[in-house]
Amino acid sequence: MQSTIVLPNLAPNEFLGIFVVATLVLVFGVGYAGLVTLAKMGYVKRAWQYVAYLFWLLQVYVLYDLSLRIHSSVFTQKILIVAMIAYLFAPHLYFYLVDQSAKRYESALENRKEES
Amino acid sequence: MLTNKHLKYESQKIGMNYFRVAIVLFGAQLLFGLVCAIQYLWPGFLFETLDFNIARILHINALVVWMLFAMLGSVYYLLPDEAGRDVVGAGLGKLGFWVLTAAVTVVVLVYLFIQIGPGKESTIWFINEGREYIEAPRWADIGIVAIVLIFYYNVFFTYIKGRQTGILTVLVADLLALAGLYLAGVFFTDNISMDQFWWWWVIHLWVEATWEVFVGALAAYGLIKILGAKREIVEMWLWIEVLLLFGSGILGLGHHYFWIGTPEYWWEIGALFSSLEPVPLVAMFVHVLYDWGKEQGHKEAVEGEGAHAVSNSPAMAWIALNAFGNFLGAGIWGFFHTLPQVNIYTHGTQFTAAHGHLAFFGAYATILIAMMYLGVQGAYGIKKMTMTFKSKMAIGLITFGVIGMTVALTIAGYEQVLVERAELGAGWDAYFIAQNLTWMKQAMGWRLVMGVITFIGFVYLLWDLVTIGEVEEAKEANELQSAVA
Amino acid sequence: MSNKSASVWTSIRFWRRSAAWVTATAVVLLMWLTFDTVKQISMGSDEDLKKGIRKRIPAPTVINYHIDYKFSKKRGHEVPVIGQKEPFFGKEWSPKEAAALLHKGKLTFQAKACIDCHTALGNGAYYAPDLTKAWLDPKWNNGTMTAMIGKKTKEEAMAEFLMHPDKYPTHGRMMPNLHITKDEAIALVAFLKHMSSIDTNGFPRNFSINAKRLKGGTNAH
Ligand code: HEC
Ligand code: HEM
Ligand code: HEM
Ligand SMILES: [Fe+2]
Repeated sequence: MQSTIVLPNLAPNEFLGIFVVATLVLVFGVGYAGLVTLAKMGYVKRAWQYVAYLFWLLQVYVLYDLSLRIHSSVFTQKILIVAMIAYLFAPHLYFYLVDQSAKRYESALENRKEES
Repeated sequence: MLTNKHLKYESQKIGMNYFRVAIVLFGAQLLFGLVCAIQYLWPGFLFETLDFNIARILHINALVVWMLFAMLGSVYYLLPDEAGRDVVGAGLGKLGFWVLTAAVTVVVLVYLFIQIGPGKESTIWFINEGREYIEAPRWADIGIVAIVLIFYYNVFFTYIKGRQTGILTVLVADLLALAGLYLAGVFFTDNISMDQFWWWWVIHLWVEATWEVFVGALAAYGLIKILGAKREIVEMWLWIEVLLLFGSGILGLGHHYFWIGTPEYWWEIGALFSSLEPVPLVAMFVHVLYDWGKEQGHKEAVEGEGAHAVSNSPAMAWIALNAFGNFLGAGIWGFFHTLPQVNIYTHGTQFTAAHGHLAFFGAYATILIAMMYLGVQGAYGIKKMTMTFKSKMAIGLITFGVIGMTVALTIAGYEQVLVERAELGAGWDAYFIAQNLTWMKQAMGWRLVMGVITFIGFVYLLWDLVTIGEVEEAKEANELQSAVA
Repeated sequence: MSNKSASVWTSIRFWRRSAAWVTATAVVLLMWLTFDTVKQISMGSDEDLKKGIRKRIPAPTVINYHIDYKFSKKRGHEVPVIGQKEPFFGKEWSPKEAAALLHKGKLTFQAKACIDCHTALGNGAYYAPDLTKAWLDPKWNNGTMTAMIGKKTKEEAMAEFLMHPDKYPTHGRMMPNLHITKDEAIALVAFLKHMSSIDTNGFPRNFSINAKRLKGGTNAH
């Protein structure tokens, strides 16, 4: 089978850039997940939620940059896009589900009292 | 930590026994890690007395074993709470505990004093199997399987006869997979590629699939117990976690099959599925944080400002750290080197060690320590346990130390990738040129310093676990008295 | 607990079933891939070697052949190249002898816990050099080690080194004496030579490129 991933050589002077950009992916990733949660919880102002999305966008950008820096193929780029979209939605899926099920299981509050 | 006086159930007493051994083994793990770290800087240290490989075996086996002990302990501890009844075979469970502890002691003594053997089958059977993380000799493998069968019998029939909560259902299924996978590591082959192929079934499918689900179940239990989170929501979320974790983690196994003789198609499979592995970890992180905030808000709304939703703040702190550490160590640091384009350079460097440390600590050590605090709370019958100075020192120093080690190793890994791999293309001389550069040496120095800090944090942790029960018990008794007066 | 207005998204049952299905699908896929991979990574036979059929993991008798590691344009990375026959410890090993030797070598590799200092195929510990292509390392091939140890062939030099590594240190960080016997040492060298013939999809990359720069010739030699 012909591989859709190719592994070109990286020159030694390319590594610092990769390292820095990969670190930025990390920073923006944590920033997004943290901020969006804190905003939803009301610990910080609602406006921070938009900052969180900005972080996500920056993360997508640096990840794209990273994919260029490691000379990745289209296949890898697609993977990264899928991962980023999943990453954007994962917290929201959670918030949505919690709200919905909070409504649904309101009656279950009683059970809880018994237990504790 | 030293008493069971308020525990109603035999199962929980067995659980506490497992916790006690686990915390001692954790200390041993750190000590042998320090020996390894010293040898990196001064190779003459204990040379031909306790060589690096032996110290390392003790370091990582103590790690795996203390975690397994704490996992068994956690299950025995939460079992009666969840099932609503005591364990079916308490006597058997106790026997299992003592036999397992004795077996572990013998294995450790053999590692320490016999160390290695001749190149014969007998060595594999009685001294050392020589496969990373699962070095325990064959006789011990068989013993472990027997004990795990006892354990599983206990869990399964308690579950069948008791209340079948969602958390227990997940645990019962997960533990079966976890135990079954161990068997993939109990055979010998001359073919090193085949050897590593199955070896990763144990290691990867443990830490990135079955153990992660186990942690999800523990966190679910912890949130209900500590915060009074709503069971239905927590359990629904647990199933989603199972879906995401197994959906990405099982085939994520491919990221270990890039270079061990296995076909190229693993490049694509490994890259795709392991890139998705951080997603459930983000989800777990959001979950813990959000629930904490929600319950706290709820409590304040009902009981006014200053009311605390948390009934065990050291445990909650460790669980929150778990949510973050899992995401950071496994998710982010793992993602860093999981694409084949990057992994061809980072494979088997200090970078891997950086990820290994932060991931094991963040994902597992943290939550198992939280379970120990829950155990102490139960054993002393404390209603609301708060952090002592020692709890704070423990969590602060250990976290600082491990993150410091990780940063040092990441820098070392970067230098190694650049010089040894990219510039010089691996090989004997290339390896040592990279090892002897100042960057590497300094990083190794800092790793040792941070390791010492971690160990000091551990001393606080041990001290706290032993004393916090009495301190908090006395405090509550006092409060009660002044309330009456 | 049921509630008519509740959506399927908040149903525990729905998620439980989805989790089971997703897990089962992943497991089935993994099984299927495993069957294929296990077939591909099973050792080849002596016949394959004689006929020049490339297997990812060749038969133990590969120790009777010259091994090199060269860039393949088609694959885009280096691959092991199995060349002409060459004696190993002065003789040609029959399939039976070679298999027994490899067996002993692998056993010794585990019995001495080499993997807790070195990496093999890139997995293991990071305290000492990767052994994947140790057989092809320039230091063993360009005369450095044979001269230092005083042996004619590299296999003899390697065996002697493994028996008394503390007598021939080249770096401050030494390999300890692991009480390896002569037989075990020969078997270990066979194990290392066999490992160097495994097709690792180009790991390690640009193996010992520095040696090439300094000396000319293929990277490995
Ligand atoms: C305690 C750690 C340790 C153990 C155990 C160990 N080694 Fe080594 N090994 C080293 C070190 C350190 C070096 C580098 C020695 C030097 O450069 O002077 C080395 C060097 C080597 C070399 C030469 C380097 C190369 O790339 O060719 C080979 C071959 C080797 N070891 C094979 C083995 C085998 C086979 C085993 C198991 C029987 C083993 N080692 C066990 C630490 C260890
Ligand atoms: C809690 C979860 C995890 C733990 C405890 C963990 C631990 C480890 C450890 C200890 C190793 C080194 C194994 C060895 O000794 O050779 C390793 C390797 C690796 N891990 Fe993880 N890991 C986790 C999650 C992840 C995730 C989520 C990813 C990817 C997104 C990942 C990617 C990798 C990769 C690519 C390697 C191979 C490194 C190499 O090539 O040398 N890990 N992991
Ligand atoms: C006192 C603190 C510690 C020190 C000094 C230390 C040191 C070390 C050293 C020197 C190694 C060998 C790495 C190599 O092969 O080059 C190692 C391996 C390892 N340690 Fe630690 N360690 C410490 C704490 C921990 C903790 C807290 C954990 C996890 C909870 C941990 C988990 C591991 C793992 C998983 C490996 C194997 C890594 C791999 O193969 O990639 N260690 N440690
Ligand atoms: Fe993995």
